[in-house]
Amino acid sequence: MALPLPPGLTPPEIAFMCEMELVTIIPRQRLEGLELLGGPLKPLNPPQRASIPLWLALLLKRQRRANIIPPPWLSPHSLAAILKFETEDSPVAFSPPPRLPPLPPSTTVPLSSPFLPSSTADAAADALPYHWLELGSMLLEAAPDDFDDADEVRKLLRGLREARMAKLRQSVEVLDAGGGFKMNGVGGMELGEARSFITGVVDGLRKIGKSREEARKERDRENGYSPSQDYDDDEMDMR
Amino acid sequence: MTSYYDVDAILTDAQKVPCTFELSVPALGFLEGNMSGDVKQGSKVELPLWLGEMLAISQSPSLVSLDHPSALSQRVLNALKADARTVDLRALAPHFYNLGARVLELFEEEEMIEVLSDAFKSRAAVIADQAHNPRGALGEGADFMRGLDENERQLFRASHDSAKAVRTWMNDLKK
Repeated sequence: MALPLPPGLTPPEIAFMCEMELVTIIPRQRLEGLELLGGPLKPLNPPQRASIPLWLALLLKRQRRANIIPPPWLSPHSLAAILKFETEDSPVAFSPPPRLPPLPPSTTVPLSSPFLPSSTADAAADALPYHWLELGSMLLEAAPDDFDDADEVRKLLRGLREARMAKLRQSVEVLDAGGGFKMNGVGGMELGEARSFITGVVDGLRKIGKSREEARKERDRENGYSPSQDYDDDEMDMR
Repeated sequence: MTSYYDVDAILTDAQKVPCTFELSVPALGFLEGNMSGDVKQGSKVELPLWLGEMLAISQSPSLVSLDHPSALSQRVLNALKADARTVDLRALAPHFYNLGARVLELFEEEEMIEVLSDAFKSRAAVIADQAHNPRGALGEGADFMRGLDENERQLFRASHDSAKAVRTWMNDLKK
């Protein structure tokens, strides 16, 4: 037996990944440049703003050496707008993820989620990034005094979480043994929480539909389909 | 796919299915409580699924013919079609869906696949709600929770555990 953990990531692991996200801080003390594994860090000069990884920001905040500027989407105004969109405008789909920046020229290395500035002070205000729930909870816990209205933000985050989890649970109604439904905009922690349930449902449905699947494979084999065409057939069923 | 040591698979195979003997068999009368006699042709006996299946498919003039188990009778399917949430699957068969899957391997039943899948899906949504609501399993949901089959219990457990893990993480942040 391997580790007795469920498939996927546990919440502490997801939070650990989230700590790579860049956040904006206002340092209160001068700090020499650091050579981190994730790349060099520029020297911190108060009162110039700087973007640093969340784990370092939390550390500096705890030592009272910096103030964290919450990302724009973590303001009561944008959270309320997103919550309204989630509950009223779009009762089924999730609010879309932040738009990707224009593609960099092909010579540079493309950046993916943790390295995109989705949580710094100049992030988009109207969309929830992948790590919204983890980042929001951690910032609210570590730096409630840097928010204008921490209680309101906390309340809205909880409301958003409830609304989106309910959507995620309802979405199993459209699941099929073939699998596949649209999860654009679902966050990391939500995925971690819903993974075991959704995979369980798909497994159960496959068990029930197994005889039909076998029959279809049998039929395809008789008709002389090659395995690659068989795969295409599965793809079609997903839609 | 199922392991030799899978307890759930063994228990599924031990569930009884109604069989009709197509031939008279000497000295098997104890199967229907007739200790010293023969099994007559046409007599109906409830046999475990593994035995019934063997007898039904082993020889070309098959020894017995299988029938649907009572847990998957038309009456039950109609009830599932009407409202799957109110059916007590556990009372019908503790491994209801596994039994259904095994029976579907033996019979071609397009409709039963549909009915079982839809029932599973609509019940899964309720299970998820109950798993995330810490009081759900005790309050008004208790009757529903008692009627879950073994697959659904595992599903409930999995989604309850993941919800609990997230809650624990959130509480740990406060320390």
